[in-house]
Amino acid sequence: MDALISYLVNVISLGGTYALLALGLAVVFSVLGLINFAHGELMTLTGYVLLAGILTGQPFWLAVIVAVIAGGISAALMEFAAFRPVRNASGATLLMTSFAVSMLLQVLFQNGISPRGQAVPVPTWLTTSLSIGNSQISKVQIMSITVGVLSLLALKFFFDRSYWGWAIRAAADDFEIVGLMGVKASRLITFAFLLSGLLAGVAGVLWVIQRGSVDPLMGFKPVLAAFIVAVIGGLGSLTGAVAGGFILSAIEIALQTWLPPNVMPYRDAVTYTLVVIILSIFPNGIFGKKTQEKV
Amino acid sequence: MSNSLLTTTDLSISYGAVKAVRGSNLEVKEGEVVALLGPNGAGKSSTLRAIVGLIKSQGSVNFAGHDITGLPTERIVSLGLSLVPEGRRLFPNLTVSENLMLGAPRKAKSDDLFDDLLDRLPILRERLQQVSGTLSGGEQQQVAIARALMSRPKLLLIDEPSLGLAPTIVDAVYQLLSDLRKTGLAMIIVEQEVMRVLKFADRAYAMSTGEIALEGSAAELRTSDEVKRVYLGGAE
Repeated sequence: MDALISYLVNVISLGGTYALLALGLAVVFSVLGLINFAHGELMTLTGYVLLAGILTGQPFWLAVIVAVIAGGISAALMEFAAFRPVRNASGATLLMTSFAVSMLLQVLFQNGISPRGQAVPVPTWLTTSLSIGNSQISKVQIMSITVGVLSLLALKFFFDRSYWGWAIRAAADDFEIVGLMGVKASRLITFAFLLSGLLAGVAGVLWVIQRGSVDPLMGFKPVLAAFIVAVIGGLGSLTGAVAGGFILSAIEIALQTWLPPNVMPYRDAVTYTLVVIILSIFPNGIFGKKTQEKV
Repeated sequence: MSNSLLTTTDLSISYGAVKAVRGSNLEVKEGEVVALLGPNGAGKSSTLRAIVGLIKSQGSVNFAGHDITGLPTERIVSLGLSLVPEGRRLFPNLTVSENLMLGAPRKAKSDDLFDDLLDRLPILRERLQQVSGTLSGGEQQQVAIARALMSRPKLLLIDEPSLGLAPTIVDAVYQLLSDLRKTGLAMIIVEQEVMRVLKFADRAYAMSTGEIALEGSAAELRTSDEVKRVYLGGAE
């Protein structure tokens, strides 16, 4: 029972972060047909802004808010500076642009800050644990779950109830026709990047607090996981991004918990084998469209 | 009925090296219903898509006193043009209500129009919270027309309103169009069901391989030997 509670806590905690990241990818994919591999660097940037806030003596909550907003604004600037000039180019060009932006930011972090990881001192109240039965659950995990779940609920409300939420969902279905609804395409794309950056910001803060450090290459692994999550869920599907986040998290944590020690070095290989099996059953992802021409 | 609402002058559309439409000149007057006929590949849908700015074109398009050539689609829609695209193109994962509300300008007060449309289409009132991808073809067509009306257009472009629908459903769709015509709404209707649309329209253009081959009143074209030969195999 305790093992199950511990397992569920870990799945929800990691799955929430994956879902937020994958939603960020899916939102941009909806409007531009692009998987933005520079999404991970937005997480990293958020981590550095959080660190700067803490080191300059700002209250923790203020540092978090500023970091998340920095993620959003940086994403909008990224769209304006890098993606807008090539908006009508081929999918391959957009993809290359996202890799270029990713590399550029990594190099800037490495040379402008430090190639080494920086410890991020989180408040002491976050470093303690709570007991549920015989299970110990860290407050970082509780915060992670709370923020993850609240963010997903807020997003659901936004997507279901607001004009821009409808527009993003509609763009995921049929971007061309959204223009016929009188929605300005460039504004929708900028807005999608802003939202995507805010999601990367929230995920970045959760990721950094759990790791306790930030380094220039920090964003690579989670964005790769988020890409896999988005593919499992069905590229461009917002529901699929959330479902995929929890599926990948459930697989990863199950293997981490129950895989025999001598097989543990093959954990990632087993994870991705299971992902391939899922995709062989659902070639377009669980919530994906039957055909997909975007990249 | 005399003022010109839309004119296209030497409208040409190319897809790479292929010229889909060559030098087309169309006119729609206020409150007028115009049919655009032609076999598959004649350039009818391309013409509608070019008018609303979904594809690039050469020549000029003038609407309600504005030169709308090259304007972005959202700007053209805001001037009073609206398109019901071929195949409906609803947002299948949005509810009927969300599809309709998205059709209205963001800051517009649309509650009255929304209610008015639902009074005209009572079946949609029962389906408001249903995801539109699960509706029948006829219901989807009604939603597509209602969605296009949410922007309060002066001219409605409708691409293949009867495509894939059972005859009784087509009757209902044309009844809706007939009601809309009484409100003074001008329309261009692209339609494969030639005789039906010629009985409904005021005037018609017939396109062939990207050019306008015939034009005239709908009554004239209904009795035209050329129309009968091309579209009806020689007999009505």
